Amino acid sequence: MSDFAIETKKLRIYYGENEIIKGIDLKVPKNVVFALMGPSGCGKSTLLRAFNRLLELNKEARVEGEVLILGKNVYGNGVNPIDVRKQVGMVFQYPNPFPHLSIYDNVAIGLKLNHLVKSKEELDERVKWALEKAFLWDEVKGRLDDYPASLSGGQKQRLVIARALALKPKILLMDEPTANVDPIGTRKIEELLFELKREYTIVLVTHEPMQAARVSDYVGFLYLGKLVEVGLTREIFEKPKHELTEKYVTGVLV
Amino acid sequence: MSGYRIRKGKEIAFFLAIAILTLITILPLFHIIATVFINGLPSVAEKGFTFLTGTLSEGGIGPAIIGTFVLMFLSSLIGLPIALLVGIYAYEYPDSLIGKWTKTLLQIMLEFPTILVGVFVMNIIAIPMGSYSAFAGAFALAIILMPYVAVYTHEAMRQIPFTYREASFGLGLTRIKVIFRLLVPLSKRGVLTGVLIGMAKVAGETAPLLFTAGGLYQSYSIGIFKPVGAIPLLIYTLVQSPSKVDHATAWGASLVLLLIFLLVFIPVRMSLKEVKL
Repeated sequence: MSDFAIETKKLRIYYGENEIIKGIDLKVPKNVVFALMGPSGCGKSTLLRAFNRLLELNKEARVEGEVLILGKNVYGNGVNPIDVRKQVGMVFQYPNPFPHLSIYDNVAIGLKLNHLVKSKEELDERVKWALEKAFLWDEVKGRLDDYPASLSGGQKQRLVIARALALKPKILLMDEPTANVDPIGTRKIEELLFELKREYTIVLVTHEPMQAARVSDYVGFLYLGKLVEVGLTREIFEKPKHELTEKYVTGVLV
Repeated sequence: MSGYRIRKGKEIAFFLAIAILTLITILPLFHIIATVFINGLPSVAEKGFTFLTGTLSEGGIGPAIIGTFVLMFLSSLIGLPIALLVGIYAYEYPDSLIGKWTKTLLQIMLEFPTILVGVFVMNIIAIPMGSYSAFAGAFALAIILMPYVAVYTHEAMRQIPFTYREASFGLGLTRIKVIFRLLVPLSKRGVLTGVLIGMAKVAGETAPLLFTAGGLYQSYSIGIFKPVGAIPLLIYTLVQSPSKVDHATAWGASLVLLLIFLLVFIPVRMSLKEVKL
């Protein structure tokens, strides 16, 4: 077993002829919040989707190099992306609970379709557990049969987090989870991260340096497809080694 | 001051023009419905219940009504599964050769003259089997039905935002499960609308049945490989007759056809819940 949750080796990603990620070697320790920050279009979301092979939904995308999840190269021969995605949960920029499913079913659907529970009681328990983990249970326990359209943006996003947690992944990828959420909802999600990192490794993509400073233990600064600097959040923000990083965290570079 | 008046005047003129044009567009629809009711109601009322259950010599169109339902059912049975799969395939593999061909082919089939479908099916089924039959009629109708359902299914699936696709695959599901357990249910309103439009189309078609279904109006001996009647086909036959009685029956049959259409189509369409994003 590796000491790192995620490790990339000479990772390059292309969309057609365009090289989006230009050779990245990254190590994400276990049980931390790791923030990937950088300006729009620097390849953060693309990099994130390489970790759970969700990038393959885009037919243009091509990956070179290695991504080790808990020591195992997910781009190795015979690795099924479906197994990778069960281990690596994902939360998206746009809060996207399934609109045609009830709150309960949104959390239950992954468990049901993957046959991860044996009885209705176990399913009920796991749904409750996941909603509690996502700090949402108290707000929705009386209306599990309602549709997510009745929830606020922040609640929807926590429902998506519960949906991912229900599968008991080891790693949680979050692609700008608060970009479409109001400030109060954002604070709740950020508080949730502190709780979740005890059991999960979280990779958070953000274009707000301040959010990275607030919630992360480690931070990687991505610029034009290259990893400019990576390290402990405190060090990066207090004594950035690279000029670009300094410009970015002080808000000069956008 | 006068500038304001001119603007106001233009606005009213524009509004009136739109209102009148809208009226002109929908007027024929209401005219058809009104005419059918005015002419059809007396002949249905005169015969009463017999009109719906009796054979033609008893003054009823019972066998034609049953025939229409049999044809709708059989053509859906043949056409819907294929059409749904074709629509889903075209959505899931848009860049594959078959996917591209399918889309083009479906567009052509939508506009294909329905009488040619009738001739085609007569040649491949009715003639070899030596008889008109419900099966041949249903087969012809299925050919009409399929492109509607497939195109609507394809369109409905394409409306699904990419983020739901990502969310589905993100749960570690196989492609089959993502499509059939999450994405198809997600777009069920659009898919079912296509199914209904296809079935409504089929219920009202005459041309494909002319050389395939044969017609059966004097008895209820229904069988898949026996000739069968249908309301539109009956109307077509009756209108050609010189007899006033037949014309009255044709109007009554038109009313029944319209009511079937409205009774099936509108409630189902309204009861389908819109998925709120």
